[in-house]
Amino acid sequence: MRRVAIIGYAVSRLEWDAEKTREEAVFEVAKGAMRNAGVEREDIDTVISASTDFLDGRTISSCMLIGASGAYLKDESKAEEDGMYAALYAAQRIMSGVHDVALAVSHTHSWIFNPHQVTQYMLEPWFDRQNDLLNEITLAALQARLYMSRSGADETHLAQVCVKNLRNAVKNPNAFRKMPDVTVEEVLESKLYSSPLTELMISPPCDGAAAVVLASEDVAEEFCDEPVWIRGIGNACDRYLRDRDLGRLNSLRIAAERAYRTAGIEDPFRQIDVAEVSERFAHQELMAYEALCFCREGMGKVLIEEGMTEVYGDMPVNPSGGALAGDAVCATGMIRLIEAVKQIRGEAENQVEECRTALAHAQWGLCAQKNLVFILGDRR
Amino acid sequence: MGVDRYSGLPFVARFRWSVGKIMEKFYRSFAEKKIIAAKCEKCGYTVVPPRQICPQCYSRMGEENFVELSGRGVVESLTEVAFRLDGKGGYIWLEKPELLAAVKLEGANSTIFVRVEGDARIGSEVEPVWAEKTEGKPSDLISFRVVK
Repeated sequence: MRRVAIIGYAVSRLEWDAEKTREEAVFEVAKGAMRNAGVEREDIDTVISASTDFLDGRTISSCMLIGASGAYLKDESKAEEDGMYAALYAAQRIMSGVHDVALAVSHTHSWIFNPHQVTQYMLEPWFDRQNDLLNEITLAALQARLYMSRSGADETHLAQVCVKNLRNAVKNPNAFRKMPDVTVEEVLESKLYSSPLTELMISPPCDGAAAVVLASEDVAEEFCDEPVWIRGIGNACDRYLRDRDLGRLNSLRIAAERAYRTAGIEDPFRQIDVAEVSERFAHQELMAYEALCFCREGMGKVLIEEGMTEVYGDMPVNPSGGALAGDAVCATGMIRLIEAVKQIRGEAENQVEECRTALAHAQWGLCAQKNLVFILGDRR
Repeated sequence: MGVDRYSGLPFVARFRWSVGKIMEKFYRSFAEKKIIAAKCEKCGYTVVPPRQICPQCYSRMGEENFVELSGRGVVESLTEVAFRLDGKGGYIWLEKPELLAAVKLEGANSTIFVRVEGDARIGSEVEPVWAEKTEGKPSDLISFRVVK
């Protein structure tokens, strides 16, 4: 199979800006990523975007954005999920040998409508959707409790994740929620939404856009001196809420195993230098430590207690601040991918030393039903 | 910049939905205060509300797979909910938090997410609270309450 590299990227500021149109946001990141990659519009063979009709409040959410992403009369398609899936489909098109250079773009403008409300429409309509207490946040709270009761993690561990990520976000110029002095107590005392989840444990919806340019091994080096290679990919979708173990991210575990196998990773804790994960809620980062096999089951709390996932730790996770520092829903996973690319290129704000192998993770669906993992490296 | 809010498109699409035969039976049996599940003949997985495809082994299921559950269940997870969403993206902060639980009903493998009343904890046994007059509608099942 042909190898695929990421050769350019661009990210918008994560913000809450009613004046910036989607067209502008997408145009800026699409153009920015192409400039960063050193490619012209003519070089791009295929364009995949990611956005959702429900969040955007209009059918065909890519409407009027095909132009903004330079995709007129090109091979073009849209993923109704996280932008990292757009990157996955772009990579698969390149692997197939049909295309050489792809652009993947993602965006969400949360100011248009509260994304948490939209999550009610992800529920099975006949029984679950009839229960007005059910939504992404309350279900995540039930997931947090299930995870906590099996692992022995408590509210403090969840708050420690927030403290780490919100402090990491301070150096990230694009982050939405940055709190340099935040403490565990402040996180625990922030507004209670659904116990144990308080406001600061819930990623804040905001506006944002991101784009990456991908290229085949045949052309990557023509455009870019330091391509970042995709060394492994794994993707898995779990059962609907009612039929799965919500206290475990089994689909993430399977996705990670697949990605590790292709990338030749046997000991993730030792072989991976940094991970950027989509923790839409604080407990999901601890669950991800376990599903990604950074520790044994139930030991996620130890990694956060011991500071192992800090930028300076043995297994840095979310040096960018993660989703807790700003959640532009469809762009969130793609931003994790870009942060992982920046780490390998040595361009990250919270740079991990000697970073050669990075992991990026995106999730989709209620309680992270669907999970996608990329392993990136500085060598093919 | 002022932001105008639009409440709808220039047209309203009224979709016709069918819950399907299986879900219809599920709700109709509420009239007799019964909770119906579907038990897969092939793998034994029991799912509530009943479904037409087994979520575990993908076998086809139908009314012949119906089993009646006792209605009793165990609380597997619990959250105190402080808000409701108003359907328009706004938050309604509740004066008194409500309890939402993940409950495993006796005889079922799947989980349901329901309101609970009383001093519930993880591991509490619960039973359904039915409306005074049950008519075979979703609103017949009000919540669950703690038995012990």
